[in-house]
Amino acid sequence: MIKETPPMLDVLKTKAGQSHLQVKAWDTLSDIGLPNKKSESYKFTPIQSVLLKNIDWVSQGEFFFDKTKLYQEKGSHLVFSNGTFVQEYSTLNDLDVVVGQVTEGKHDPFSLLNAALANNEVTIKSGSELPVFIYHFNSSGISNPRIKVKVKSGDTCKIFEKIFPSKSNNTFTNSYIEFDIAPNAFGYHTKVQNYHDKAFTHETVFSKVSKSSHFYNNTFSFEGALVRNNLTIHLKDENCEGHMYGLFLLDKKSHIDNNTSVDHMEPNSFSNELYKGILDEKSTGVFNGKIYVRQNAQKTNAFQSNNNILLSEDATLHTKPQLEIWADDVKCSHGCTSGQLDEGAIFYLRARGINEKKAKAMILNAFATETMNHIHSKIVENEVKKLIDKKLS
Amino acid sequence: MISIKNLHASIEGKEILQGINLEVKSGEVHAIMGPNGSGKSTLASVLAGREEYEISTGSIEYLGENLLELDPEERAQKGIFLAFQYPVEIPGVSTTNFLKTALNQIREARGETSLDAVNFLKLMKEKMKLVDIDQSLLSRSLNEGFSGGEKKRNEIFQMAMLEPRLSILDETDSGLDIDALKTVADGVNKLKSEKTSTIVVTHYQRLLDYIVPDYVHVLYKGRIVKSGDKNLALELEEKGYDWIKEEMASI
Repeated sequence: MIKETPPMLDVLKTKAGQSHLQVKAWDTLSDIGLPNKKSESYKFTPIQSVLLKNIDWVSQGEFFFDKTKLYQEKGSHLVFSNGTFVQEYSTLNDLDVVVGQVTEGKHDPFSLLNAALANNEVTIKSGSELPVFIYHFNSSGISNPRIKVKVKSGDTCKIFEKIFPSKSNNTFTNSYIEFDIAPNAFGYHTKVQNYHDKAFTHETVFSKVSKSSHFYNNTFSFEGALVRNNLTIHLKDENCEGHMYGLFLLDKKSHIDNNTSVDHMEPNSFSNELYKGILDEKSTGVFNGKIYVRQNAQKTNAFQSNNNILLSEDATLHTKPQLEIWADDVKCSHGCTSGQLDEGAIFYLRARGINEKKAKAMILNAFATETMNHIHSKIVENEVKKLIDKKLS
Repeated sequence: MISIKNLHASIEGKEILQGINLEVKSGEVHAIMGPNGSGKSTLASVLAGREEYEISTGSIEYLGENLLELDPEERAQKGIFLAFQYPVEIPGVSTTNFLKTALNQIREARGETSLDAVNFLKLMKEKMKLVDIDQSLLSRSLNEGFSGGEKKRNEIFQMAMLEPRLSILDETDSGLDIDALKTVADGVNKLKSEKTSTIVVTHYQRLLDYIVPDYVHVLYKGRIVKSGDKNLALELEEKGYDWIKEEMASI
């Protein structure tokens, strides 16, 4: 007899936390369910069926921590293992970090799943301008790190986040990070996603931006079996800015899905988005960019662009801008391009004595590095540059 | 320097060059003129190694080598330079960085050591004067947002930097006003020597007032139908191309 694979939630139910909020999160999730084949926003990423096929939910995995992965840089270094903050490996450097119970967050299925399954919630409060590096070492079947970042008025907070999924077994990381940016403050968040074919992730970034504050997100994706990025920015008040930069430079069978959304709620706010994709071999890239401009949000400026280069006939790209504008006095623009490498440009470089391989690398490199803005860390910037070079050489 | 024999080239099944014969010796300047669509730019592209063109018959010998067997980069490394009619804009790649890579690849291919940043900048400063090009232009993305004149100037600047043996100028005069034309021609003239050759592809005679050719060839329907000295260019300027067409039709 063929045994039917039970839906994901049935398997995970026993893992759900018992606090009032977690029970509530689980109930809501049970009502709405996880995305399935019919879910429009997961159309190109059938995450539930992929996870059911690949993840052993009960596997605990070996605890692992690799000190050499930590950046040799002044700042705070926070180490998480399977979703739990590990104080003994972390260097706080006076950073205000509190481990507590799960509190309210976003209400989409994977955010709710994170809330229900998280062991606890880690709150970081901005203090110094030193960078905060967050490392996730994950080996369990499923990990649910849950982080909230409170950026105080007048502060600048720079967060750099990386996941290290175990290479010895398949893992699913369902991460959640939320920024709450007080008025007149700056939040910077950079992610480097350089995984492997055993890594499955769903990564939620949610930022609530208050009056005259700015939020920047950089997401650099290089490899992963399945990576889904849900980036949501709420520009809650006047004179806010939201910036989204992303690069997905993929090969092998990597599958990266970037789902971004910016919501202009009040007048005079600004958002800018630039995502670029380079797809080789059998990789798949998805870009979905939503811009909402509420009726009240007059004088909104919103720009979005997604440019892609396909290097292989087996690579797949799906790109979709989505603008919903209810205000009438706004400036919005969006554009996306997809194509092959420009033969004319390659010939131009070759005609100057540069060999074909190098010519292609130069053009692609220039294309890719245009997404590198506002990282605010030399060491991370160099790492990304090196990864780009390595992928293109 | 270069010897082209019975060259036939086609693109997408259409034969553009239908038997070109041309011999260029060291120290010579040859002008290739002709009406639109006669194959002038195709000839320039084929010499530089553009791969879209299929060579069905004919041969090109360059410094004793079979040119048709060389990749575009090998040709450049061996001293062939094409000044593009439409220089390509390449976002994100600065002219400086691009030229440093190009120059060092050429030097490497010639068994010379790479230039370090200091010596490269020194050389650049020296050559910038030749074509009166501004430093700020060179730190910008290659040709991106450059005016027509700036692009052409940049081509000649690259030529000065790479010191080719055989330069092919493809309609370098198009889109240039008279001052820019003089500057560009002046640069080309300064780079000329007994050891170098120049092929000037142009529709109009006016560039040839400044870059004086030793020979002028008229290309028509993919063949050289007339050759002469610089006076032929003057004659063409005066009479236009129609008399050539008529002459050809009467044969």
